[in-house]
Amino acid sequence: MTVLLSVQGLSKTFGGLKAVSGVDLDVAEGEICSVIGPNGAGKTTLFNLISGVLPPSAGRLVFAGRDLREIRPWHFAGIGIGRTFQNLALFKHGTVAENMLTGRHVHLRSTVFDAVLHLGRTRREEIAARRRIEEIIEFLEIEHIRDAVVGTLSYGQQKRVELGRALASDPKLLLLDEMVSGMNREETEDIARFILDIRDQLGITILMIEHDMRIVMDISDRVHVLNFGEKIAGGTPDEVRSDPAVLEAYLGSKHGRAEPARGEAAAHVG
Amino acid sequence: MRSGTFKETYPELIALTDSRLVWFWGAVLAIALAAAPYLVNAYLLSLLTAILITVTGVLGLNILTGYTGLISLGHVGFLVTGAYGYAVVSGRWGLPPLLGFAASGSVAALLSLVVGAPSLRLRGLYLAITTLAFAFIVSHLIIEAAPLTNGARGITVERPSFGGLSFASDQAFAHLCLAIAILTLFGTLNLRRSRIGRAFVAIRDNDIAARAMGVNLHAYKLLAFTTSAFVTGIAGALYGIYLSYVSVEGFPFLLSIEALAILIVGGLGSPLGAILGTIFVTLLPELTRSALAMFGSEAEALFSTGAQELKSILYGVVIILFLRFEPRGLVGIWHDIRRLWVHWPLRF
Ligand SMILES: Nc1ncnc2c1ncn2[C@@H]1O[C@H](COP(=O)(O)OP(=O)(O)OP(=O)(O)O)[C@@H](O)[C@H]1O
Ligand SMILES: [Mg+2]
Repeated sequence: MTVLLSVQGLSKTFGGLKAVSGVDLDVAEGEICSVIGPNGAGKTTLFNLISGVLPPSAGRLVFAGRDLREIRPWHFAGIGIGRTFQNLALFKHGTVAENMLTGRHVHLRSTVFDAVLHLGRTRREEIAARRRIEEIIEFLEIEHIRDAVVGTLSYGQQKRVELGRALASDPKLLLLDEMVSGMNREETEDIARFILDIRDQLGITILMIEHDMRIVMDISDRVHVLNFGEKIAGGTPDEVRSDPAVLEAYLGSKHGRAEPARGEAAAHVG
Repeated sequence: MRSGTFKETYPELIALTDSRLVWFWGAVLAIALAAAPYLVNAYLLSLLTAILITVTGVLGLNILTGYTGLISLGHVGFLVTGAYGYAVVSGRWGLPPLLGFAASGSVAALLSLVVGAPSLRLRGLYLAITTLAFAFIVSHLIIEAAPLTNGARGITVERPSFGGLSFASDQAFAHLCLAIAILTLFGTLNLRRSRIGRAFVAIRDNDIAARAMGVNLHAYKLLAFTTSAFVTGIAGALYGIYLSYVSVEGFPFLLSIEALAILIVGGLGSPLGAILGTIFVTLLPELTRSALAMFGSEAEALFSTGAQELKSILYGVVIILFLRFEPRGLVGIWHDIRRLWVHWPLRF
């Protein structure tokens, strides 16, 4: 088992607020790994640190043997870290295909001079990019909407397009922030199937944030639990399910929070 | 009725348009425009030339404001830089006109690097104000640099001739402007469908996501600014030749506002919109003048004395009206009409 991503003592503070504090976790190559925790636990902030959206306040991130402190924020995609956003971050005036082509940015090389003339290199690489995009479109079963403007699509479809855009960069590690929130049962099952296929067929390692405990417990190899920015548990789904600290966090007696987690999540862990 | 499109090959998928009709009518229009200089009177020819030069300049601003979503009030600064670049190199130094054109674009582009590198970290209003200040500083510098620019006296510019062709006649110069406008149109359309154009639009629509896709925000904003300045500089050279005399007064700040008005009226981000907007906004003062003439010579006299003020008012009014009632601009109206036409007589 080779470790693809190693998070070591990672912290992020906003003013006085410790959104992420001293988190350690490893993600092995080929794993599907979940991060769970009550609202405001720091899950999205953790993703923002791993994907270079925010710089850490302390700690270390090592990805495929490289210290991420030495990587500029816009190079994270190029070294193989792709992500989706909790609240859709698509380019809403563009079509589905165009959004996905934007996701392929790091694989394209043409300069402004090539681009203006659209000859030779630009033409070849645009065709190659389009070919790869069509494969992903087929994989995600969104052929019928490929030319639709993203802003006109349903929420579930947009989520799928965002997944496609992240896949278009051919990442080694894919970070999925609440893919299935707001989706119905059927859509959720589709996504679960896609996540398994992404790992099995495309060989991409997955780290996902999910509130839906069904999907977490069904498809994860490993689950990490955050609460108030700290990691309180980690292990296989079965280990985590029976961990007293996790039950406590979700039922919330110790910290005295009235509603620490979404009802569904708490019910499933309990 | 055209229904779903079925594309077979990847080259078709990345083509500029899937419609032969668009190419056909585009070619018809280009031929008509090429013939027009021989068919219209001197006044209309001058208007046509002005429209072609404006289209080129506005396509330049569209790269920055339309594609990338950054507002510049200072593009007149690049226009005047381009005009002086040409006038100094080919007029004062007597070098070949093609070098003059190269200078007009590159000096504007170089200047944009100097202005853009520090100021593109600013957003929205702050960037607008910085570029505004830049436009005034440029005018000032041009007047101060008298040994190079002839200061307030300006430089006389001749019509160019190169490659065995003379563009001295009004007709030939209109053809030159047409050729450059068409090249600019295809250049910016090609840019838009490349990785660079997509990165620009990504920055406009969602900069955090754009960076997560691997786009270096600062570098790409600077690239948009520089490409935009280059094209605007070329338009400036043409405008200087059109005026036959380059001076700071020939490039009032109003031109910056006019260009933004054109983009808003036409539809931000759309090259077709830039063309429709240019035609509309250029003809607007002319039509107003004709309308005023109907109220007698006194009303018309008002126009000639207060032309600049009247233009500012007109631009302001159309900007407000379009932002309020049709933010997609003329190109949005055009798409609606086309959809009606395609689906006629079905109403949906
Ligand atoms: N950019 C920011 N600036 C200031 N505070 C922030 C910022 N981002 C997150 N926070 C704060 O950090 C804490 C953790 O937020 P985060 O979004 O990481 O939680 P989360 O676990 O993803 O929650 P949810 O399940 O609701 O998505 C919250 O208190 C939030 O308000
Ligand atoms: Mg979150």
